[in-house]
Amino acid sequence: MNGFSPATHLLLVIATPLIGAVVAWVLGGRGRSAVRQSAAVTAVITLVNAGWLVLRYLQSPEAATGGGYAVSSAPWLVGGVFDVRLSLGLDGLSIWLFGLSALLSLTAVLVSWDAIKEKPVGFYVLLLLLEAAMLGVFAARDVILFYVFFEFTLVPLFFLIGIWGHDERRRAAVKFFIYTLTGSVLAFLGLLTIVLWNASHTGVITFDIASLTAGMAAHPMPMSREGGWLQMIVFLALFAGFAVKVPIVPFHTWLPLAHVEAPTGGSVDLAGVLLKIGIYGFLRFSLPMLPDATAAAAPWLFGLGVVGILYGALVALVQTDLKRLIAYSSVSHMGYIVMGLFALEPVAVEGANLQLINHGLSAAGLFALVGMIYERFHTRSIANLGGIATKAPWLTVLFMLFTFSSIGLPGLNGFVGEFLILAGSFQRAWAGVAESFRVPYLIMAVSAVGGVVLGAWYMLWAVERVFFGGSREPPRQGAAGHDHGHGGHSHDAHDHHAGGHHSAGQEGHADRCDLEWYEIAALAPLAVFVLWIGLAPATFLAPPAAVLRASTRGATTAFNASMRAIDTGDSPPQPAHVTDRVVGHDHRASRQPRLLTSELTLDRP
Amino acid sequence: MTSNMSSLQSFFLLAPEILLVTAALITFLGGAFTGLRSGWFVALVGIVAAMLVAGGQPADGAWIESGGIRIDAFSTYIRWTVLGLGAILALVQAGDLFRSAVTRGNSFGGGFHTGGTCEEAGTFLILLAGLSLTAVANDLVLLFIGLELVSIPTYILLALKRTDAHGQEASLKYFFLSLVASALFLYAAVCLYGIGGSTSLAIIGARLRSAGEPMPGMATVLLPVAIGMAMAGAAFRLAAVPMQFYAPDVYEGTSPSNAALLSTLPKVAGIVVLVRVLALAIMPTDAGDDAVGGAAMAHLSLFWPLAATLAAVTMTVGNVMALLQRNLRRLLACSSIAHAGYLLVGIATAAAAASARAGNGPAGADTSWTLGLGGLSATLFYLATYALATAGIFAAITYLGHRWPEWTAGSGPRPPREEIATVDDLDGLSSTNPVAAFAITLFLLSLAGIPPLPGFWGKLSLATSALEVDWNAAITLGSRRAWFVSLAVILVLNAAIAAAYYLRIIAAMYFRSNRRGVQADGGLTAGIAMLLCTALVLMVTVQPRGLFVSSSRAGNVIEKSRP
Repeated sequence: MNGFSPATHLLLVIATPLIGAVVAWVLGGRGRSAVRQSAAVTAVITLVNAGWLVLRYLQSPEAATGGGYAVSSAPWLVGGVFDVRLSLGLDGLSIWLFGLSALLSLTAVLVSWDAIKEKPVGFYVLLLLLEAAMLGVFAARDVILFYVFFEFTLVPLFFLIGIWGHDERRRAAVKFFIYTLTGSVLAFLGLLTIVLWNASHTGVITFDIASLTAGMAAHPMPMSREGGWLQMIVFLALFAGFAVKVPIVPFHTWLPLAHVEAPTGGSVDLAGVLLKIGIYGFLRFSLPMLPDATAAAAPWLFGLGVVGILYGALVALVQTDLKRLIAYSSVSHMGYIVMGLFALEPVAVEGANLQLINHGLSAAGLFALVGMIYERFHTRSIANLGGIATKAPWLTVLFMLFTFSSIGLPGLNGFVGEFLILAGSFQRAWAGVAESFRVPYLIMAVSAVGGVVLGAWYMLWAVERVFFGGSREPPRQGAAGHDHGHGGHSHDAHDHHAGGHHSAGQEGHADRCDLEWYEIAALAPLAVFVLWIGLAPATFLAPPAAVLRASTRGATTAFNASMRAIDTGDSPPQPAHVTDRVVGHDHRASRQPRLLTSELTLDRP
Repeated sequence: MTSNMSSLQSFFLLAPEILLVTAALITFLGGAFTGLRSGWFVALVGIVAAMLVAGGQPADGAWIESGGIRIDAFSTYIRWTVLGLGAILALVQAGDLFRSAVTRGNSFGGGFHTGGTCEEAGTFLILLAGLSLTAVANDLVLLFIGLELVSIPTYILLALKRTDAHGQEASLKYFFLSLVASALFLYAAVCLYGIGGSTSLAIIGARLRSAGEPMPGMATVLLPVAIGMAMAGAAFRLAAVPMQFYAPDVYEGTSPSNAALLSTLPKVAGIVVLVRVLALAIMPTDAGDDAVGGAAMAHLSLFWPLAATLAAVTMTVGNVMALLQRNLRRLLACSSIAHAGYLLVGIATAAAAASARAGNGPAGADTSWTLGLGGLSATLFYLATYALATAGIFAAITYLGHRWPEWTAGSGPRPPREEIATVDDLDGLSSTNPVAAFAITLFLLSLAGIPPLPGFWGKLSLATSALEVDWNAAITLGSRRAWFVSLAVILVLNAAIAAAYYLRIIAAMYFRSNRRGVQADGGLTAGIAMLLCTALVLMVTVQPRGLFVSSSRAGNVIEKSRP
């Protein structure tokens, strides 16, 4: 098993999609099936390799402390100028997201199996480039390398949306790119400021994320009027980048458009992995490096999370397009994660981190299934669909499974995440905030529970209309003019233009109505994990626990201190120097009985 | 490190320029006897020979001075940039040779593109020689001669390439404005002479740095005039505000190959002028001459706010104007204005950083560390990446040449081919000419600053150098540090604005279907130039270190006081 070093293994995993992209390019002349087969083989090899690496990590001594694993570092620009290194590695925070990227990339390749008929070479090359960038962003241990991967994910997805997307694809692609770029250039300045601050206070010029975290813990940025609120400024700069990526609600407008217009494979990667990079950025940079600013902003972001939950759910409720509905449900679900993260309560943070994976599985599954429905019936309009359950039972079963996962049915993964987030939030609201904050916090937490009800409502209602009830014959291909007569469903007309190249599909309705082998292969792994996480969440909660604890410790302490200060009427305390932030903890002790032993129950007067 | 060279030795210092002029003379004279192609062949051989003679970059701190010539890491860097660009642009210009063969065979309206003659090759070589001369000039007179040797061939090339109304308008507009810019530089030179009592930049600099405050006599008046005039003159060459407005008209009015030239070579000249004026205050001429006197401080405190303001305004104006353009060359002209703004960021940063270091004194300066490049080095790095990408795009447009206008069979005779003019003309290029589409995409993404392309490394350097200015000071309203933090923010936000119009071009090439048959008739050599730029861009993407190191060396010759 230890035939080759983990570091080599990691490099191999990231390099495989790049090699696969070249292979797909070379095979381009041999037609679509050669290209897609080579892409699938690449994705499978990457997944197996990544899975193996994850298993190796879980057995390694580093897994207990959450420290860096498979670390490799090679000079890139060193030599008097920027000391940027090609530095890769995994830790408890990134391990699941890394695995998720590999898993969903295979799903993305398989769901495009029959859907992509035009320019297949470019499509699969871009999809594999995107896979490499996604794997890289979670494995990067160097700030600049992280940013390079972070930005580079935009380029393949821009083309995927713009070339293979639906009717409004051009606008969607450009909007997606500009929004995300605007945010991330500001985040970039924030990251540079952190590097400069660290260099000026420790005397060491480094772009290494771990060293920067340690340096920022030892020398926190000023968070006071005299210091020019530097920490807050940098926090806001990072927030601009990560909040757009998540997206946190006022910055979400690019998301529904991008999702609806993207090809299914692109939607799977976008919903499953790319949205997670924002939260990952908060956990990796904002919380550990800027704890005081995080603490100051936490109530606001907690509130924005709740607003996102309710807003996303309410907008989803009125959607007539199934894909758009799921896009808004993503907005709502990301709201839970934001809320859990900025509750700054260990239970909630763990729940939020688990929910990243859960949402990655369920949203990717739902987007994939919507794509399959669209391929069969050439519409995504809920009003024009109906009675699919009798035509495609397996498709229905899987859609129900991911729906239940998404609305948090006990026994499935979504329940665990949502429960931990809500439990942690209530704990924070009940016993973790100042007297004057308690009522607003409780209202917000209760509203978030209301969001769960809304989530069940819009999802189940959509399922009822789409899969059950009378079998409605979807409008036929050539009858575009007829569709316009329906009125009110402008998407229908669009769908037909975009679906123009499916002309062969109509007569074969009955034959190919249920899932094909490649569609089952795309979704089965996701379904397995949905059940697995639901039944044995501890397996998935344990590895990140120590790192999560370490990276939120500073912010939590600062938040608790400020709340205590409000209660006792003192002026806010000066930022404490938290020095033990990177020390590992016994993860077993910190895992199970957290709800009871949480150190954060304040001593109330 | 000596100024006592024999005249023969200092003659050899100018060997690259002499080679270029010799090649030009051969082309001029030989053009009467041989075919058209040999002119460009001789030009290329001349440029490559000049590159070889120019030699490697001198080691840190080494320089040779003789008369009005100074050869150091900075001048070598500029020379290499100029000659490398020259080789690429010569290939682009030679593309017109093949293009004119095409145009002669078809019925094109009045005298378009007569390009590719030996006269043009010779003129182009003289231009390169002049630009290369500015790089080594350490004397106001020699600098002025170099600048004029850039300007005059440019007028000729503009006038030769295109003889229709648009072309005439473009060349006249450029001609008159360029005269104004030259006059402005002369004013500045006169004022500097008044301050230093010599035309030697070294002596003027030494006077400036040793003079106390208040400055002697007229210098108080002369210094602001000199800086303002020099900056205005440089702004014309950079296409920076307030002298930017000509760029869209001229680029649109001339041929793509000339636009390639205008968007790169004069910018190098503009940067050289600004660096020379800035160097007066910050560059020590002898070892131990590190003092920054009151007059030099006055110089810097005039220089950096002016440069920073121009940078911010130029970036924003260029990008906002570019958002409104539909014509490809106008759009790229506006983009080149915006990039002039980015280049100015580094110049302003270098001035402010020097003034901060001098003002804080050795004790107060926390400059024992630096993240990356200084402002000047960042500008020089950025200049190379910008020029490579822009020359590449214009090479591609030259190569693509013409397209068929929309025409349905049976509606009369097929109209003649038209030059590629608007963004829409590139619709669907990814399917008709995938290589060119890929190359243009690469250049545009580099200009937009998407990592890990060269433009990203450039913007990274500019942003870090701006953030480092006066690092220990608090960010209070109006403080030097607040200026440069804002400048960094404006810079990155502008990069995001710029992405909008770069993406529009990419979207046209990849997301729309092909409606117009692009001919790719602009000449094989332009295509080669495009591929050359692609290869260089990819090289810098994978390993930017070489360019980082040499630009860092070049900038640090001037910014001596940097850690």
